[in-house]
Amino acid sequence: MEHAHGLHLPNSGHNRDDEASKMGMWLFLFTELLLFGGLFIVYMVYRMLNREAFLLSSFELNVWLGTINTVVLLVSSMTIAMSITAIQKGNSAQSIRLLMTTVGLSLLFLVIKYFEWSSKIHHGLFPGMDYYNGLPKGEALFFFLYFMMTGLHALHIIIGGILIGVVAYRTKKGEVTSEKYALTENAGLYWHLVDLIWIYLFPLFYLIH
Amino acid sequence: MKQNKDHSEEGTAHISSFRDHWSTLATLLLLTIVTVVISVFGANLAALSVATALLIATVKVIVVAYYFMHLKYDKKIYTWLILLVVVLFAAFTILTALEYYNR
Repeated sequence: MEHAHGLHLPNSGHNRDDEASKMGMWLFLFTELLLFGGLFIVYMVYRMLNREAFLLSSFELNVWLGTINTVVLLVSSMTIAMSITAIQKGNSAQSIRLLMTTVGLSLLFLVIKYFEWSSKIHHGLFPGMDYYNGLPKGEALFFFLYFMMTGLHALHIIIGGILIGVVAYRTKKGEVTSEKYALTENAGLYWHLVDLIWIYLFPLFYLIH
Repeated sequence: MKQNKDHSEEGTAHISSFRDHWSTLATLLLLTIVTVVISVFGANLAALSVATALLIATVKVIVVAYYFMHLKYDKKIYTWLILLVVVLFAAFTILTALEYYNR
């Protein structure tokens, strides 16, 4: 406290508590987990009731596109974790590059998702389309849940991508530094959660044959 | 800027190396390959594949949470809170499934 430059209380003018903001982010992530958790229970119940139909329908999805998207998200999880390492070491430029790489990978994910959805919509599988309306109940449910759950997940990807872009911008402005990087860490936590949800969506829709 | 160690625990925050991150990614990719191979080429192990796929996914999730989400180096309160949420969700799911199969 007896510093040479006089009255510089640890918090003067810059009240912040990084630990508390991290806890806040985790509490928010719990609500996200339970949001998707509810949908996973719906999936489980309808799958138990329509075993054959879910099995048949899952063969309609493209395992390879799903796998590529899984890899894209895993790599993006690494790049954002690396951007935290970079900012902790005081290398803002590298941190920004890694953040922008993550944003780029989020866009790649969305482009691949766009092609997947387009091909399903082309086949008339989107809820409400003529072909969809003629499907047996179980298969319709599979595609309803597919669009609902991957759609909600894609929305999270969009929000996460924007958030990470904001972090990159604020790092460039010097508002995020090696002393003050809670924003980068919290964006990272959110992004990892989006990855975690995909880690379950992928086998449930594409792999379980 | 000089590193003032009296800036409490903040200054000692663990910094994961790029090398650590690469190893974590390698582990995750390996598990992804395993799960895809089992699904695509071992589809006739039907009964196994649901449990196996979910088990592998869970291992991946633990790896992401432990290393990428930094739980390994964070205060234990985070791990406990997560376990609480997971147990709550698991109880809900398992009880629902049991109810269904026992009727």
